[in-house]
Amino acid sequence: MAIDSSVYGYMVDEQDFPDKKVIIEENSIGDWVYIVLEGQVKVKKKTAKGVLTLATLGEGAIFGEMPLFLKRDKLRTATVQADGPVKVGILDTSRLDKEFELLSPQLRGLIKTLARRFTETMDKISEVAAT
Amino acid sequence: MDAKNTPYPIVHLHYRKGDLIMKEGDYGVSIYKVISGHVRVTQQQGNMDVALATLGPGEVFGEFVFLNKSVETRSASVRAVDDVELEVMHPAALSREYEQMSPILRFITNQTLTRLVRMNKLYAQLLEKKEIAQKQQKDPGEAKRRHFRKDTNLTCVYWPAGGPSKLRLQGRLMDISVGGAAMEVSSRNALNTRHDPGSEFTIQVNLPSGRDMEVVGKVRTIDMNQVPGRIQMGIQFTRITGESKKTLGFFMMS
Repeated sequence: MAIDSSVYGYMVDEQDFPDKKVIIEENSIGDWVYIVLEGQVKVKKKTAKGVLTLATLGEGAIFGEMPLFLKRDKLRTATVQADGPVKVGILDTSRLDKEFELLSPQLRGLIKTLARRFTETMDKISEVAAT
Repeated sequence: MDAKNTPYPIVHLHYRKGDLIMKEGDYGVSIYKVISGHVRVTQQQGNMDVALATLGPGEVFGEFVFLNKSVETRSASVRAVDDVELEVMHPAALSREYEQMSPILRFITNQTLTRLVRMNKLYAQLLEKKEIAQKQQKDPGEAKRRHFRKDTNLTCVYWPAGGPSKLRLQGRLMDISVGGAAMEVSSRNALNTRHDPGSEFTIQVNLPSGRDMEVVGKVRTIDMNQVPGRIQMGIQFTRITGESKKTLGFFMMS
């Protein structure tokens, strides 16, 4: 996936992570939004039977965006871990937030529903995987 | 442009409990917002109907065709869980705003859609795998009893009998007979609601025959230790309407 050029206008910082380093910890509090600039990351979720890898995200993938849409809790829904050395960009959360809040309630509702269904599906997957 | 200020009139639709609102594979472009009541989103996977989500007031469905221009037909079916009021949002009203939205938000939205589709697939695959594993584990005597106890893997909705029906918990019916069922639920369901021997629940399920059934059942056995995070309950049906009894009877014979 190529990096969407408009993303650069939102980037406030860059950060390097060594292999296996945890970038986002499941159930911790935080609302930074990240983009993979170089390398790749793994998305993992805890289950009763151990850790389940749900996805591998490569260059251009944005992660950590759920709290932007699901305001009610800023708890991280999954762990994101460096898979080899990784360079990530940190995006301007408050600008993204402002743009999101300016959308019509209809469009915002649509995006929120998608986000909620996505996090719920991850929960259901970790439940099924544990049995 | 704000979708509110478009020349499209706002249309409201009403559906009764059990009605099919949207059918997987059909053509359609409208987007719906739930005003009141609940709907269940299901998708056909092999010969299983996988419940993907239950949506309530404020939530939106029918957006896949709108967001993913390469799809022309509905990717899931949607059925009314109770009496439902919907607002129809015409896609043209949203389309312009969506096109003008900042590219990065549009990118994230599309990314969420792609990921949701992938997670739905993964979920269905895991369910199927689990179902096959469970069938292999069944004791050999089971085969002889098959004609009056049927293996199922059906998502059901339930709540304490006589309690507020606004509270809706999800469970799975692992097998079913004319007199009862084996139900598996998440341990989380027991955090705020009593799940004890003797507890009575109203259970609603859409049978593979496409028909809805509602019964009241009493918990006879309960096992919290068999599978971590899950509760297995043996349920005895205590109240069943004539209509539901017929529906169940036909299903058991099929």
